[in-house]
Order: sequence, then C-alpha cells, then structure tokens
Amino acid sequence: MRTPSSAPVKFLNLWQIRFPIGAIASIAHRVSGVLLLIALPLLASVLARSLQSPAEFDALRAAATSASGTLILALATWALAHHVLAGIRHLLMDVGIGSGLAQARRSARAALIAAPIIALYILVRGLW
Amino acid sequence: MVRLFSGQRAWVAQRFTAVMLLAAVLAGLMWLLLGEPLDYTRWYALLTTPVGAVLTVLIFVMLAVHGWVGARDIVLDYVQPRGLRLALLGAILLVLAATLIRVVLVLATHGAT
Amino acid sequence: MQLRIYRFNPDTDAQPRMQDYDITPEAGDKKLLDVLIRLKSVDDSLSFRRSCREGICGSDAMNINGRNGLACLQSLDELKQPVVLRPLPGFPVIRDLIVDMTLFFAHYHSIKPYLINPESPPERERLQTPEQRERLNGLYECILCACCSAFCPSFWWNPDKFIGPAGLLQAYRFIADSRDTATAERLDYLDDVYRLYRCRTIMNCTEVCPKGLSPSHAIEQIRLALLKQSS
Repeated sequence: MRTPSSAPVKFLNLWQIRFPIGAIASIAHRVSGVLLLIALPLLASVLARSLQSPAEFDALRAAATSASGTLILALATWALAHHVLAGIRHLLMDVGIGSGLAQARRSARAALIAAPIIALYILVRGLW
Repeated sequence: MVRLFSGQRAWVAQRFTAVMLLAAVLAGLMWLLLGEPLDYTRWYALLTTPVGAVLTVLIFVMLAVHGWVGARDIVLDYVQPRGLRLALLGAILLVLAATLIRVVLVLATHGAT
Repeated sequence: MQLRIYRFNPDTDAQPRMQDYDITPEAGDKKLLDVLIRLKSVDDSLSFRRSCREGICGSDAMNINGRNGLACLQSLDELKQPVVLRPLPGFPVIRDLIVDMTLFFAHYHSIKPYLINPESPPERERLQTPEQRERLNGLYECILCACCSAFCPSFWWNPDKFIGPAGLLQAYRFIADSRDTATAERLDYLDDVYRLYRCRTIMNCTEVCPKGLSPSHAIEQIRLALLKQSS
C-alpha cells in the first residue's frame, strides 16, 4: 500500500533503456566537457609553471611523459578530441546540415570512433 | 544568477565561443604539428608577445564562457534542490573567475619583464 | 511467446515488480497489442491503455525492449524474447503500463495548440498556397502518444519546466502555419532556458517517433526562427 504523500512510482532505470547511438555520443560530449572543465584550472597552473624557467618547462615535460602524466593526458586528449568532433557535429546540425536521422546516426558513430583514434595518434606522436 | 545567461543568449554564446575555440584548437594543432619542436624559448616567445598574451587571455575568456554555459546546463539538469544548485553554480563561477585572473596575472608579470 | 511485464498496483504494492508470462499467439495475432489483449483475457488484472489499435489514437505507448513505441504498430516477428514491457520512462505510473500524462498535456496546452488570428474570418476558409500547406507536413500528423517526450533525457530531468519534443513539435506546427498571426508571441514564450533550450539535440525523440516525425527538426527550426527574430 502506498500513501498519497509518497513520491510517485516511475520507471527510469537508465540501464534498462536501450539508448540510440546519438544518445551515447551526447553523453560522451557531456562527460568530455566535464573533464575539460576540470582540466581548465590545471591548464592555467601548467601555463604559469611552464613560463617560469627552462628548468620548470622541462620538469613539466618530464611529468607529461611519466605514467600518471600519460594517463591524464590520454584522458584529456580523448576528451578534447571527442568534444571538438561532437561539437562540430552539433554546430552543423544547428544549421540543418546532417540533422536528418540517418546522417545524425552516422556522424555520432564517426565521432565516437574517431576521438580515441585521434587521441592515440596525438599521444604516440608526442606533440610536446 | 540562474538568469545570468538565459534562453537564447546562452545558446548563442555557447555556439559563438565554440566556433572561436574550434579555430584556436586548429591553429594550436597546426603550430605544434608544422612548427619546430616545442621548447622553452619558442613557447615563451609565443605567449609573452603582446599579441600572444592577449590571444591567450581571449582564449581563456572563451573557455570560461563556454564552460560556464555547459556546466550550468548540467547543474540545471541533474541538481534540483535550489540551495545546492546555487552553491554549485557559485562555486563553478568562482573557480572560473579565479582561473581567468590567474592567467591574466601570469601573462602580465611575464610581459612586463 | 515469453513476456516480462512491469506490474504495479498502487492499492496493494509498495514497489513495482516484473511478471513473466508465456502465451501462444494465434494465427491472427500480428502486433504486440494483439498479444496484450489476449493476455488480458487470461489475467484481467493486467492494465494498459488502448483504443483504435492502428496507430492513430496514441494511447498504447510503452517501453518495448528498452525503446518507446506503440504496441499496436509493433510487429511480433521483430521482437526479441522475452519481450520486456515497461511504462513510459520518467512518467508517474498509475498502474502497470498506464502512466499519468497530466504534465505532458499541460505542456501541450501551454503552447496554445490552436490557430490565433484576430482578423475577421473570410466567408469561406482561410486559403493557403500549396507551398504554405506543404510546410505543415511532418508536423500535423503528431498523435500525442508521448513516445518522444518519454524518451528524452532533458524531459526526464525537468518534466515540469521543459516543454519536451512533442509540445515543441506542436508549437512549431503553429509557428509554421501561414494562417496564424501570433508567431512573435509564440517565439517569445519559447525563448527560455527551460521551455525550449533544455534540448541538447540528442535526437532520441526522432529515433522513437512511431509516426516517423522529427521533433528535433522542429526544434532546430524554432531556434533558427528565434535567431532571425532577434537579429
């Protein structure tokens, strides 16, 4: 028995809902955005340290190639790559380019696949 | 404060900063891919010239605006209690402002010397 | 045929539960609704809405194997078993597969779903050119089944403030109508962080619309119309 005052029963178990590819690309866009937002204050402090002296600059570069540094950079480059690709997708869809369902599904899949590949390429090539 | 960037204004700001930041990301990528290997002298020269410093600050302003609109959307979606919502939005605004001030100060000290 | 169905009776249950059914469809059973009606003859406590049984009334919307759809349009041979049936996600459950649509219809009424035109009506109907009429295609066909809004994450988080894909498609149906003179007021009403701009173009709405309509396209057009209006 339920009393009238209790919160209404709802079905909203996200694990029992089959999400289309567009929804996966969208939540990844949100997650990558949060990661980049967290990275922003860190980026400012990296900027500050990198300008201090050549020694500090090299220390930062060494930290970037350490195990934990590589992990953080891998996450950050994936986040940036996905956020940029999914962002381009949304900017185009806003003006009606690729906003049909079939094209939107294809571009969502493309962004999800391309982002880790780009991130891996940047990491392996080592831009810093 | 919730209305700081309401409705269409926030949507337009998000899109405008997105386009600007896209250009910045592509320019940065080109600079890293096509230029000489990155070292302190080249890095320092890029960031501390008046043009470089102003562009860097502008990019951080765009990042802060873009991040604010996105973060606010997330809070409006997932955080319903009013008090917690205002506290979170305030904290995000504070961190973004502090980040911006820090970048300006760092570039100002290096530009002055 | 195996089915797993969400059961909840507010008078006797504290929590919803899943109930397994096994039933053999008969020769004439083509759609999921046919099986549900057969099940109801075995277990008359099972509750669901249905009326026209041909995708016009929009009453038998439910979550079928994780996606929203109309039981009357869902072919049996396309279904993976066990067929898992749940009420529309995010909507308050009244009983079993029946949900409370009050908020959904409140949003629909809020966009003034009728022509507004203060000019005195002509002798016969207000005429449209074939082009003007063409713009209403893909908009007027909505049957308000709520499959889209109940599949929209933005609507799940803010069901009281976001109008949702169904309401916004209907809003655009009147914005796009050449006979309606309230376009500016309609757009002003929609220019709000919640009412329109909760949409993040996830496109779950367009994915599940049983009529093949595209609420996401209507929302895109509303945003562009707002942009034009303010520039």
